[in-house]
Amino acid sequence: MSVLSAGDAADGAAGRPRARATRRSHLSQTHREWLAAYLFLLPDVLGLLIFVGLPMVLALSLGFFDVSGFGTYTFAGLGNYRKMLADPLFLDSLQVTAKYVLVLVPGLYVSGLGLALLVKRPVRLIGLFRAMLFLPNVISLVVIGLLWKFLFVDRIGMVNVLLSKIGLGGLSWLGDPDLSLWALLGVTIWFLMGFYMLIFLAGLQEIPREYYDAARIDGAGPLRSFRDITLPLLKPTSFFVLLVSLVAAVAGPQGFDLVYVMTSGGPANSTNLMTYYIYQQAFLFSNFGYAAAMASFLVFVLLGLTGILFAVTRGGRFDFD
Amino acid sequence: MTVDAPEASDVQKRVDEAGASRSRPAGMNRRSLIKVGAGAAGGLGLFGPSALPLISRRSAAAQGDTLKFWQFYAPGGQVESQAAWFENTVAGWNEQNDKQVELVYVPNSDYMDGTKLPTAFASGQGPDLFIISPGDFLRYYNGGVLQDLTPFMEQEAIDDFFPDVLASRVVDDKVFGLPMEVEPMAMYYSLAAWEEAGLTDSDIPQTWEQLLEVGQRLTNDQRFGVLFETNPGYYQNFTWYPFMWQGGAEIQVPESNKSGMRDPGAVEALKFWQDAVNLGVSPRTVLGGGAWDVVPNLTTGYCAIQNVGIWAISALQENAPDFEYGIFKLPVPEGGQYSTDLGGWAFVANSQGQDPETAAQFVVWALGTMSEDSIQRGVDWCTKAKSDMAPRQSVQELATEQGGFDSGPLKQFAEEILPGGRGEPRVTPEIYKSISDAIQAAQLNGTDPEQAAEQAATEIEAFLATYTGAPIL
Repeated sequence: MSVLSAGDAADGAAGRPRARATRRSHLSQTHREWLAAYLFLLPDVLGLLIFVGLPMVLALSLGFFDVSGFGTYTFAGLGNYRKMLADPLFLDSLQVTAKYVLVLVPGLYVSGLGLALLVKRPVRLIGLFRAMLFLPNVISLVVIGLLWKFLFVDRIGMVNVLLSKIGLGGLSWLGDPDLSLWALLGVTIWFLMGFYMLIFLAGLQEIPREYYDAARIDGAGPLRSFRDITLPLLKPTSFFVLLVSLVAAVAGPQGFDLVYVMTSGGPANSTNLMTYYIYQQAFLFSNFGYAAAMASFLVFVLLGLTGILFAVTRGGRFDFD
Repeated sequence: MTVDAPEASDVQKRVDEAGASRSRPAGMNRRSLIKVGAGAAGGLGLFGPSALPLISRRSAAAQGDTLKFWQFYAPGGQVESQAAWFENTVAGWNEQNDKQVELVYVPNSDYMDGTKLPTAFASGQGPDLFIISPGDFLRYYNGGVLQDLTPFMEQEAIDDFFPDVLASRVVDDKVFGLPMEVEPMAMYYSLAAWEEAGLTDSDIPQTWEQLLEVGQRLTNDQRFGVLFETNPGYYQNFTWYPFMWQGGAEIQVPESNKSGMRDPGAVEALKFWQDAVNLGVSPRTVLGGGAWDVVPNLTTGYCAIQNVGIWAISALQENAPDFEYGIFKLPVPEGGQYSTDLGGWAFVANSQGQDPETAAQFVVWALGTMSEDSIQRGVDWCTKAKSDMAPRQSVQELATEQGGFDSGPLKQFAEEILPGGRGEPRVTPEIYKSISDAIQAAQLNGTDPEQAAEQAATEIEAFLATYTGAPIL
């Protein structure tokens, strides 16, 4: 990396040939810094292009083909996209996904922030409580799914046994299409809220205590302090949480893993999230082209939603004035 | 090599003919698609074609010299003797042949409804040998990856298989898979629950109505009377088909592009499962891996009667040897005719593998010659490693001679439950999904069975109108 060295004096000190120093001299300091920066970035950029960019382009291309799943590709133009719009199961899964996102994103925001406020104070054993709340995140989603599937089982599952004490024991949480999505959402929020709690906790700890002290002296109660100090100063954190939870809700691993383990998309397609329907089309029905078209559509929806979020929050600054 | 194979030149000729008749449909190949994708990416200035070697297909031959045999009977699995049977079979072949076969275990959940096989074939790295159920046959046959086994078989051996069992693996009189077992569905019940409810042998249900009545007597706040599969999937369809057949309905009306799902037999079968749930006799969720899993459901007392196949005998013997149970054949609707579904897996060879001919020879050697070894291997699988009915006349006879079906539950299966059974249907994924949605809608969503059946029939007919693959059976 001699090209990154500071200049002629250093080269001279190192006894390097004069000719090389002369050849380098046509690059300005700024250009040399740019070059250095790009060289440092190159491995990451190459990695991203090969392992993320290329698969994305291939997946996008695949959406324009009929793919048998056994090595035969026939160009289909926009056929897969037209099929998508006429496929009632796709439209159903879109609707299920929309419900899931609309509940999950606010649910994670409220539960994460609520828990962060609860565990903010450095009382005794608070570290243990925080660790316990975060604990589900370190467990495999498959294990989580199997565990809750067992807890939710009809009649003898622990959830029903406990609910029977208040006269609500006869529910089939994973077998009733009216309840299954809610059960899935409950497990998902339980699983993810510890992570968002940590994010909010970091945001809360950035807020100087003096602001709260000053507000208290001015007669502000906890609710007023929360509204006028905590929420405004948490705007960047809120943006991050909303963005990450939105991506997680639309295409996160929990959306697929928990459905796969707990419901297989049932009962009666009531938990058939788009990620699971894409999986079914690709791996159960060998319609890889159609699945790729749906996946591309999902990516564009996600890009659109993210763009809206950026626009509404002005890039997370929430700077409306 | 102990296989009584036809002359090599004849074999080659027949293999070539078989290959010619199974040519792939025209279209772009995967390599071309990758190039198109790479070109598009290159066009975007992201990278050049030099990246192609990184993603290009690794040929099947590069995977090694041994033939890879994928299946899900792993050592340490539910029944040890089943894994041992596979190991012995492969060891027997490897002793006699230069071309070696290697077992590759795939977890059951990954194999049946998972990604392992589809991704392997999609990337041109499908196993040389694998096992499939009739439910998956058309997917692989229509994909052009099943090797014709007929050139490697004697006619006597082909005729030795029960026609109804072999039918779902045959296209145009050519055999593309050899069944290793026949697995009829039946009803298992807990003797303790039976006695606790004051029921006797005379209460064994003969009709659907009686089953629901008995189920109600067996149901309490901790236990369901009758358990049917509730998870959507190929297995749920498989367990529902006999109830449809009993009322005279078919998935596809023979010799037509019409679906039989609108027929009263199909509608009544949907209503029967719906009634079982609505009456509180059947649960909406099941324990363990699903309703095929007898130990977590029946022996724990979650249900008193379970709709499950013959494999439950060995599962109970291995995992709950003290559990007392009885078996009865599937009840029928008023005026209906008894039928049960004969499931079972088959060995198949990959026509796109590294050595399809040797793979086909292995399949035939293992399960489809008239040699004593091959027949005894079938007996060992059906009566010792597993608890199954035989797919071949000679295996059935030898198993009977050796006392395999002389007593206990296997005798009951052989004498009462098997007769009247039908081979598991082979359908395409599209048809499977339409039927699955109808079952789920009626069983768990309270949809009018007639409406659910009509929806399925409409979808199936729309699909059949343009379908050009092997016949639905």
